[in-house]
Amino acid sequence: MAKLIDIIQRESCFQPGSSLCMGCMEAIAFQNIGKLTDNGKKTIFTLGTFCGEVSTLQFPNPVAWGRGEKTPQDWTKSFGIIHHVFESAPTVAEGARDMADLLTETGAMTDSPQVVALSGDGGALAIGLRSLLHTVHRGVRIVIFVLVNDIFANTGFQYSPITPLGADTSTTPVTEMTLGNVTPPLDYLGLMIQAGAGLVAQVSPAYPKYFFRVVEQALACPETSVVFVPSPCITGWKYSDGETIRLAQLGCETGFFPCFMKEKGKKGEIKFLEPDIAKRPLIEEFMGPQRRFHHLVHKDPKTGLFQVRPGKEVMVQKIRDWIQERFMTLSRLASDSL
Amino acid sequence: MNSDSSICETAAGALYSNIINLDKVKAAHKPLAQEQLTCEADGNTAAAYACLQMWRCILFAGFPITPSTKWLETVATMVASGKCGTKKVKLLEAEHAVADYLAGAAAACRDLICATATSSVGLDHMTECTRSLGASGLGNVLLINVFRATANYPLCIEGDPSDTLAHRDDGWIQICCRGVQQIYDTILQAPCLGMHPEILTPVMPGYYGIKDSHRSSRLVVEPDAKVHAFQDRWIGPAKLPGLINGDTAMGNCVTSKFFQGFKIDQKRRMERTFELLPQIGADFEKTFGRSGLQFVERLYWPEDDVVDLAIVGMGPDIGTAASLIEKEESRRGLKIGVLGARLLTPFPRDEYSKRLKNAKAVLIVNQAHHYGAGHLTLDVTEACYTLKRRPTIVSCFAGMGGATLSDETWQKMMDHACATIGKEVKRIPPVIVHEGEVLWQS
Repeated sequence: MAKLIDIIQRESCFQPGSSLCMGCMEAIAFQNIGKLTDNGKKTIFTLGTFCGEVSTLQFPNPVAWGRGEKTPQDWTKSFGIIHHVFESAPTVAEGARDMADLLTETGAMTDSPQVVALSGDGGALAIGLRSLLHTVHRGVRIVIFVLVNDIFANTGFQYSPITPLGADTSTTPVTEMTLGNVTPPLDYLGLMIQAGAGLVAQVSPAYPKYFFRVVEQALACPETSVVFVPSPCITGWKYSDGETIRLAQLGCETGFFPCFMKEKGKKGEIKFLEPDIAKRPLIEEFMGPQRRFHHLVHKDPKTGLFQVRPGKEVMVQKIRDWIQERFMTLSRLASDSL
Repeated sequence: MNSDSSICETAAGALYSNIINLDKVKAAHKPLAQEQLTCEADGNTAAAYACLQMWRCILFAGFPITPSTKWLETVATMVASGKCGTKKVKLLEAEHAVADYLAGAAAACRDLICATATSSVGLDHMTECTRSLGASGLGNVLLINVFRATANYPLCIEGDPSDTLAHRDDGWIQICCRGVQQIYDTILQAPCLGMHPEILTPVMPGYYGIKDSHRSSRLVVEPDAKVHAFQDRWIGPAKLPGLINGDTAMGNCVTSKFFQGFKIDQKRRMERTFELLPQIGADFEKTFGRSGLQFVERLYWPEDDVVDLAIVGMGPDIGTAASLIEKEESRRGLKIGVLGARLLTPFPRDEYSKRLKNAKAVLIVNQAHHYGAGHLTLDVTEACYTLKRRPTIVSCFAGMGGATLSDETWQKMMDHACATIGKEVKRIPPVIVHEGEVLWQS
């Protein structure tokens, strides 16, 4: 692995100029992915339709992507990026990968590029699950990043198949009769392992060292790597400015988004999440600052602590149970050398 | 030009021209035919041979759907045999995925052709992508559409161009073929059109399922070297960057301010087809001695364009019509001409105006279901609108779902059209004709 200081000093392909919300974790992730891919190899990015596309790839000002203002003299620093349709970034990447490999095979090209796909969780796990699953199944050498903000953020914060239980979204609203989303989220990490991915990870830039290590490993993987990046969404999750990194850490430490990595044929690891529930932060600390959970958790004016609203204990317990159930599943997957 | 002479600045970003050595790709091609061969082949096999002979066509993607599947099987078998050099066949999980994959591959390298074949609901399943591809400028995508009735209520696997006609506005150049040799010849010319730097539009050649995809006849296969020499005259190194050899962004978001300009450019490129298609067709004819691309095929048509009744149709059945005309002319005492549609999109209205300016009546035979007068009728009628003396337009539907067009059916349709000649008629409602009987009248 390259030294942290060296990675930080690299030139990112994600430049100022995007119209992503202030405090968006996607921007932080892109900035870091941009540095990590500045590794002496040409990078091709394929984008599905999501916030990370519509807010960064605007004509005539695609200023958010590319290395430097001038055309790079070094081809490996040049940048190819394509947005095709909502759901197909992995398959588009597969096409680019195969073309590059064929050119290499014929001797028409010597230095092969690295190919990276970017999607949102709605694009990858709802409408794009077919594309994601089959590209992973075919084992093509690409890295797929899925930016996980639990919703279709780009279209106005609607329910996606990994929206947490109890979350208030614009299509699972909280009313006097309803408690937000009641469908348990899809087990996307298990799904990708079962599909045969070479590397499956969930990692946040809130843990930069680990993020760098996992992404470098993903870029070096000879098969498909799928990296889920939990991305607190300031507008969709409805939290205050300046909370993004802290919420990303709490999301991991409470078990909503455990940091995880598993390479095919090796045991995996769960990071930054205590196995002992008693040692973890309370989930109320993660939920409390987000108004999407405001109907379940509120701040006690006397103690200043977040606590479950009276009468909502059953729903919050369901969330705790789901977190623990998923932790047990991940632990089983991590202990296996599948 | 940048200080490094291998880096060219283009409107779409920088192009690093020394990154991909296309000579190596060409050298890796193994010829299917060293010299001219004659064989028996069906339409799908002829289409597959044409693709396999092009050195630029190294990536094939597919998903099986009747009646196009044999194209995929043939390509897969030939590539697996190692007889074609370094090529790859990618089997995907759905037609949508095929189109996604082609987009990525074609964008990665604009110089190489990425091909597939599909049909009917397969083409429909690609729709989201075909519309993106149609606007993408990726003229190196080749989609062979084997005509089959679209929609599965009721499911019908026989030849009917309702699939291709439903996709007329997807932004592709669409060319209709008739017969095995024309299928082969058209596919060899198609990338010359689509990849031309002034056109840069994907091409969708098509032919009738079953009637042409599955029927065998004599096919002349040209030597690969001759095919390459012909194509190389028309296809030079791409002038725009791809994802591999470029510093470029594709598929951006735009505001309405830029959207319309984008569409005007797309339209401008598409319309360059009118000038370049006849040139490519003439070069093909000079090189191979067979008719090249044309706007329309004059199957039975006088040099002076003077006819009483003009018949316009497409596909193999229009050939049947042509074989009946000599007898029909003498029986009816009228001059009758037959035109077969070749270029469907962009529709060559000037060519139709020119050919139909003297006709008293035009019988248009539609083989795809349509709630109005018929797809072909609408386009031909529009082409005739500016004529000083407009012919009477007679619209018939026949052969839908691949039904047979018998001699009696042609005669009945001609009766229907001839009855209008010399009469003051404002509008003739369309009819459906089968086995010499009118099945339905509006």
